[in-house]
Amino acid sequence: MRGTLLRYSMRRALANMSENRLVHLIGIGTMAIAFLIFDAFLLVFLNINYWIEEQGSSLTMSIYFTGDPDKAAVETVSKELLQYPGVTINEFISKSDAMENLKRRLGDKAGLLDGLEGNPLPASLEITLSKGKIEDFPKQLKARLEMLEAVDEVQYSHEWVEKIQAVMGAVKLIGIIFGGLLFLAALFIIINTIKLAIYSRHDEVEILKLVGATNRFVKAPFLIEGSIQGFLGGVTAIVILLLGYLVAITRIDLRIGFASFDIVFLSPQFILLLLLMSIIVGFLGSMISLSRFFRI
Amino acid sequence: MIQFFHVYKSFGSENPALIDVSLTIEKGEFVFVTGPSGAGKTTLLKIIFCAERPTSGYVLVNGRNLTRIKDKELSLLRRRTGMVFQDFKLLPNRTVFENVALALEIMGAPFSVIRKRVHQTLKYLDLGGKEDYRPPQLSGGEQQRVAIARAIINSPLILLADEPTGNLDQDLTVEIMALLKRIHIRGTTVIVATHNQELLKGTRRRVVTLNKGRVA
Repeated sequence: MRGTLLRYSMRRALANMSENRLVHLIGIGTMAIAFLIFDAFLLVFLNINYWIEEQGSSLTMSIYFTGDPDKAAVETVSKELLQYPGVTINEFISKSDAMENLKRRLGDKAGLLDGLEGNPLPASLEITLSKGKIEDFPKQLKARLEMLEAVDEVQYSHEWVEKIQAVMGAVKLIGIIFGGLLFLAALFIIINTIKLAIYSRHDEVEILKLVGATNRFVKAPFLIEGSIQGFLGGVTAIVILLLGYLVAITRIDLRIGFASFDIVFLSPQFILLLLLMSIIVGFLGSMISLSRFFRI
Repeated sequence: MIQFFHVYKSFGSENPALIDVSLTIEKGEFVFVTGPSGAGKTTLLKIIFCAERPTSGYVLVNGRNLTRIKDKELSLLRRRTGMVFQDFKLLPNRTVFENVALALEIMGAPFSVIRKRVHQTLKYLDLGGKEDYRPPQLSGGEQQRVAIARAIINSPLILLADEPTGNLDQDLTVEIMALLKRIHIRGTTVIVATHNQELLKGTRRRVVTLNKGRVA
């Protein structure tokens, strides 16, 4: 019985969708837009999160010197640093090295620097702190180093990662509210599409009930229709997002010339989860719509 | 088989459709329900079919009290009661085969059984070869026969026909009445609501006359 019902419902759902193509296409299109906004938001959110995690796992620190330090000043700082385990000195960048680096990065716009009087860039010592260090350690080290006469300022990558992390809390909250609203919008769309489908097939529903069909039998094709619409809306959204992503990364690579920030696409697990969510939204929307209709 | 006990039915406060109707229809009977338009014929059939519930009084069909029937039992009751409507109530975008098969599909019958029974029933009603037609491609008489095929395919115990010849000309009326008689001979209880007095001329069947909601 259950197999027959499923086969019948599937056949009816597909036949109905093909008979009322335009209504269903509009429904799928509108749902795809709602899902696309949701998916795009998720993609941006996940990328920022991924990037923060990436930054947090390798902690680098730059120690900027006052003026042009002599060898002794650099050695004093190096000796201080070597007292702490887990600290690796990567390189010393002199004022002139810093200027060369900047010129190289500016490429054909390096001429802009010609107007400068002297070299305003500080000399620095680049170090890496091993992972697993206690959280306060970079802060303590920064304070201690800044007490040294030769050191002007100390900056570490975590400093602004921490700041972004603080902002991410707010972004998360906005994301939940925004995502929730989009979820409701998609639900609202499917409720109305299915409602239209029920109204347009009012006679069919009436005849089915008159020949003795159970509510389950009458409802099943509509539920399948809603789920298929949700799924197709979800797939369309993912495909558009993927195309947009491919265009975006190509453009960014062309303009900047090097990948300073890798944008990653949604993982297959995430895509599956989103498609499942689209199906659930479609199913749920149909169910709400049908419950209103069958309350009579 | 069907018993009405002091049944009243009203839609709103005015114009009661049925007033104190009490009657019994035995198993295997062929009964005409007649009366002018608005006499309550359709309401009487609808109550037997559970498309309407009495305002008061009670109705027994095969011992089941219809006034207390639950929604879940409704579908089972309708599968055992065939109903033929004046406007046929066929799905215009589905074929004759699909329209008739509907009554078996809702019961979850396997396709092999559906195919065999639909072909047998269509042949019995002289509709063999019309399986792939859609209702708008058929004549009024053929459409009514398709509606009858759908109503009898489950071998119901009761067949209700509401003005089955209302939209048909004289020749087709005779044809449909002959068909209903054939179904009756097989043992089905048949109740035909009609305002067509021509149908009742010379009949030896029982005639229940309704007038302004009362059994005359």
